Amino acid sequence: MLRHLLTIAILAGLVLLLVAGVEALGVRVFDRIATNLCISLVLVLGLQIFMGNSGILSFAHIGFMGVGAYTSALLTIPAQMKGMALPDLYAVLQGVQLPPYAAMVVGGLVAAAVAAVLSYPLMRLSDAAAVITSFALLVVLHTIMTNWSNVTNGPRTLFGVPRATDLPMAAIAAILAVITALAFKESRTGRLLRASRDDEIAAGALGVHTAQLRWRSFVLAAFVAGIGGALWGHFITSFSPNAFYLRETFVILGMLVIGGANTVTGAVIGTFLVTGAFEGLRAIEGALNSARIFSEQVIGITEVVLALAMIAVLILRPGGLFPTREIGALLARKFAKRKHVS
Amino acid sequence: MANPSLEVVDVAVEFSGLRALNGVSLTLSPGEIVGLIGPNGSGKTTMINAITGQVPLAGGRVMIGNKQISGLTPREVALQGLSRSFQIVRLFNNMAVLDNVEAAALAHGSSLRAARAKALTLLDGFNLSHRADDLGGSLSYGDKRRVEIARALAADPAFLLLDEPAAGMNEAETEALLHILAALPRSRGLGLLIIDHDMSLIMRLCDRLHVLAFGKTIAEGRAEDVRKNPAVIEAYLGSEAIRA
Repeated sequence: MLRHLLTIAILAGLVLLLVAGVEALGVRVFDRIATNLCISLVLVLGLQIFMGNSGILSFAHIGFMGVGAYTSALLTIPAQMKGMALPDLYAVLQGVQLPPYAAMVVGGLVAAAVAAVLSYPLMRLSDAAAVITSFALLVVLHTIMTNWSNVTNGPRTLFGVPRATDLPMAAIAAILAVITALAFKESRTGRLLRASRDDEIAAGALGVHTAQLRWRSFVLAAFVAGIGGALWGHFITSFSPNAFYLRETFVILGMLVIGGANTVTGAVIGTFLVTGAFEGLRAIEGALNSARIFSEQVIGITEVVLALAMIAVLILRPGGLFPTREIGALLARKFAKRKHVS
Repeated sequence: MANPSLEVVDVAVEFSGLRALNGVSLTLSPGEIVGLIGPNGSGKTTMINAITGQVPLAGGRVMIGNKQISGLTPREVALQGLSRSFQIVRLFNNMAVLDNVEAAALAHGSSLRAARAKALTLLDGFNLSHRADDLGGSLSYGDKRRVEIARALAADPAFLLLDEPAAGMNEAETEALLHILAALPRSRGLGLLIIDHDMSLIMRLCDRLHVLAFGKTIAEGRAEDVRKNPAVIEAYLGSEAIRA
């Protein structure tokens, strides 16, 4: 128990340190970066809840981020703007206007409900079949978002979403996500799901209902993804379905894989590292372009470096930087050993 | 004791036309230890897989008392009170030893706290307390086997099926295991079915033996009778048994 509290304290401390540092500096660019980082934390931790405990790679996660973002947007765009932003909106929804906080929770709930229905038959699948179907799920969700013009404005940008997310709020959401992910991991469902991740046959022979446990974690992951999407929507205030597709999927997966999907610590550290690297590289890219060292514009350094980092981690440390133990457990073990020696 | 027995009745298993088991019947009562022996490929592991639902039956049935368990999934069979170990150890390698054992108790409905207490007691009984916090995958082969047995026991089974529990253990480890296993039927009232190639272990541990060859029963009965049976000596034990 103590080691779990230590893990929460360290990971939440990292987030608080980030907020305190940014507030102290008072630079607007840093504020934006830190808010994005906190939102990424929510998304990566959501993915960790499913992927880390079930051991199944899921591409569908960002689709549920989109569901949360669109749901929350629909419920909060001011009534007088809806006519412009969503000309074909159903009459029932035209008058609806919730406060953003409530709408974000609804966004999470709708994402969870969609996940609950769509994923139920898929959770019996393992390995490659499960990965392919999750990818198909992402494509289906994307296609619906691009074509259901009544509620999404189709492939065009949806604008007029009220700005509600600031850094403190995103940080609180990130800390809550850390606690949720750790609590789930140590719950009965989380423990048995991890058993099935390590050996599905042995877990079945103990009486573990793997498909049902996977389903529970998938629904919880979608809930967190929906909240993350809603937070992001109220931060960026205008977006199109392409925001919830391959590029974002790749980034979020990269963060989790580099940090270590099996641990909450890995999810948090991976998000910090990749965000830091991204912003650094983006600055370098900008500097190169404004200095006109090359005749053409330099683009895509960030993606190339993320891809190379992922390959390097998968070769050198296949489980990521934190493959099995949380930071709190690592420190507790180190301390116990030292006491043992002396 | 009113607890029902495990009844395997005329079970057959086919692998793409090949009969791995051909009409085998076996009874395992609570409180007894039965050894399932036979040459390699005689169908011993298939027998355990057939009982626990890992392979489908081509004929026959498996009952606990009046309740049919053949046709159920391995998960449902486990919840009827059957625990097993595997010929090739299957631990949860990325989880701590303690978590491995706790998982079995949790799967059978224990609370988190009760599962922890049960797992600690079991690990103590197997002399594994000092490895509780280590990862399953980091253990030696003999330790892995013992954790697997402890995990199977954490489910509080009515019947325990062990597939070569002593494989990969040295003599001292085997001896320690023998004492633990021998005490189980009395202390827990469970029925123990054990496959092993270590004849001295089998002879000292088992009340009854069941001998398979080519998927058929060739002998069954009390251990000392079975080992004098000419068919068994010819098919399996050979000169080694006469020497023993």
